[in-house]
Amino acid sequence: MATAVAEPASRPDTRGPTAPLPLSLFAAGAAAIAIVILGTLGIQAYQVVNGGPVTPACEAEGIEARLLGAEGVCHIIEGIRSRAQTVVWLLGIVLGAGAAAGGWGLYKRMPSKRQREQCIAGAVLGVQAIALSALLLWFRSGEIAPFIRNFFNAEVLAGTIDGFLRGMLNTVKLAFAGEVGGIMIGLLLAVLAISQRRTVRAPALVYINFFRGTPLIWQLFFIYAIILFGFGIQIETFTAAVLVFSLNTGAYAAEVFRAGIQSIERGQVEAARSLGMTYTQAMRYAIVPQAVRRVIPPLMNEFVILIKDTALVIVLGLTAENYELYTFSREVYSEFSNGSAFVATAFGYLAITLPLIRIVNAVEHRLRSGLTGVVGAGG
Amino acid sequence: MNPDGSLVKLENVHKWFGPNHVLRGIDLTIQAGNVVVIVGPSGSGKSTLLRTINLLEEPTEGRVLFDGEEITDIRTDVNKVRREIGIVFQSFNLFPHKSAKENVKLALEKVLRLSDGEAEERAMEQLSHVGLAQKGDAYPGQLSGGQQQRVAIARALAMKPKLMLFDEVTSALDPELVKEVLDTMKKLADEGMTMVVVTHEMGFAREVGTRLIFTDGGKIVEDGNPSEVFQNPKDERFKSFLSHVL
Repeated sequence: MATAVAEPASRPDTRGPTAPLPLSLFAAGAAAIAIVILGTLGIQAYQVVNGGPVTPACEAEGIEARLLGAEGVCHIIEGIRSRAQTVVWLLGIVLGAGAAAGGWGLYKRMPSKRQREQCIAGAVLGVQAIALSALLLWFRSGEIAPFIRNFFNAEVLAGTIDGFLRGMLNTVKLAFAGEVGGIMIGLLLAVLAISQRRTVRAPALVYINFFRGTPLIWQLFFIYAIILFGFGIQIETFTAAVLVFSLNTGAYAAEVFRAGIQSIERGQVEAARSLGMTYTQAMRYAIVPQAVRRVIPPLMNEFVILIKDTALVIVLGLTAENYELYTFSREVYSEFSNGSAFVATAFGYLAITLPLIRIVNAVEHRLRSGLTGVVGAGG
Repeated sequence: MNPDGSLVKLENVHKWFGPNHVLRGIDLTIQAGNVVVIVGPSGSGKSTLLRTINLLEEPTEGRVLFDGEEITDIRTDVNKVRREIGIVFQSFNLFPHKSAKENVKLALEKVLRLSDGEAEERAMEQLSHVGLAQKGDAYPGQLSGGQQQRVAIARALAMKPKLMLFDEVTSALDPELVKEVLDTMKKLADEGMTMVVVTHEMGFAREVGTRLIFTDGGKIVEDGNPSEVFQNPKDERFKSFLSHVL
């Protein structure tokens, strides 16, 4: 039985004193990475506030003043090409190189743990600053004008907020409906898949292997075609997508449930059965309530994956009111011949997935700390 | 009850686990009121033997009779038989998501179909019997090993079984917690419960047991009154076993 070990109120700090040299190496590394990131962002912010009309240089590269959003695009390009930007990146490289060389060369000779860690941290931050600056310099040496024009046009995005929000909502709707359907299918499949009898088990395993072994995009396309032409049922693409997502998620959820049930100690079933419970009663009152807690994190992970996979419905073609995030950006692209919505879409997905990922981590942490046997026990 | 007064009867019981022949022809008759203690080296089949009595292990060959009924017959409702045979495990096997009281009540409600009130009453009665009336709302994770094992005993006793099986119930306990569990078992024996006990506690075997069985290599090689058997062991393997554990 897991018993929680009480955390001491505060652990004594035994890392020892610091000294000016390691501290300044750390400061140099931190400054290098901060200059690269904050400097670059700062220059762009300055451009947003103080940038003028479209410059001749931009005009020459096809950013004509009459185009929608040309001014904003030109600001970004001019910012990237500015001398200040060159100084920022070169400064990042020089400072970073100093911190990296000093930290790397000296960390073994440091007398205390704190000083050693400061040297190492300074060196690592320095290397990161060099890498980031070099990458950005390399990027700038290419054809940045068409790239920025195609993906960072704020005015193209400005008019599409409603569509963007509707896209987020529809993405969540699609994924949530698919997940709920998938959990129901998965529970049924798991019960069949853990059967001792091969005749019961076989069809479930065939199903699970098929849906885990073929691409989701193929399933969307093919199952929609089967329903439409094979069964002759006029089905909305949104409904078909929910159905296929459910079928697909069902296969993965079944494996999650099966693993969860099989992770419960054998003694639990034995205890229940030896009290005279039937197999079904043992599952229902002893095993499943314990397994459910263990499968919450992996099921939520499946949900996060499904949220991203909703992008694949683009192959079915949704009606306008059902556009999810990816279809939305694709439509904006068609309308404006501009891909800025693709960039916005990434943030849309992150806005949904990052909180979920945080929740998964928190739940996992709670499960691992062994508190769930005590807290929130019901049923 | 059986015409010959026996509660449990094993006839030529064999058990194979894959290629391992664990039980090699066990014949054993247990009378009601007996406290049968089974000892033996690890791997000698003593736990398997115990677990065939309530069919947690199904014999590969042979018959098991309980209360005159052949329970190895495929037509026997094994769930009904198991209500009458309590078992306590080495690793407690309490349901961790349920409190001590809920652990005891679960089968009373779901198997015996008692009302909530009746189940509650019987659960509290059994918990007081093992000295844990005040721990009814505690979860297994909040109890010591000895307390958990006493809850497990209460859970089994609440079904009012005719027979209690104990499978190395003190082996997973810290030394200072062994006594409280053994005392509970002794009390149960004094009340006349029929018990089959697999254990390494030779003191318990001598003091509480009415019959001692020594298994080795899947067979019963020594069987008799504990004090006599300890005093005058016949089988060579039993002698050497005793010299190691005493």
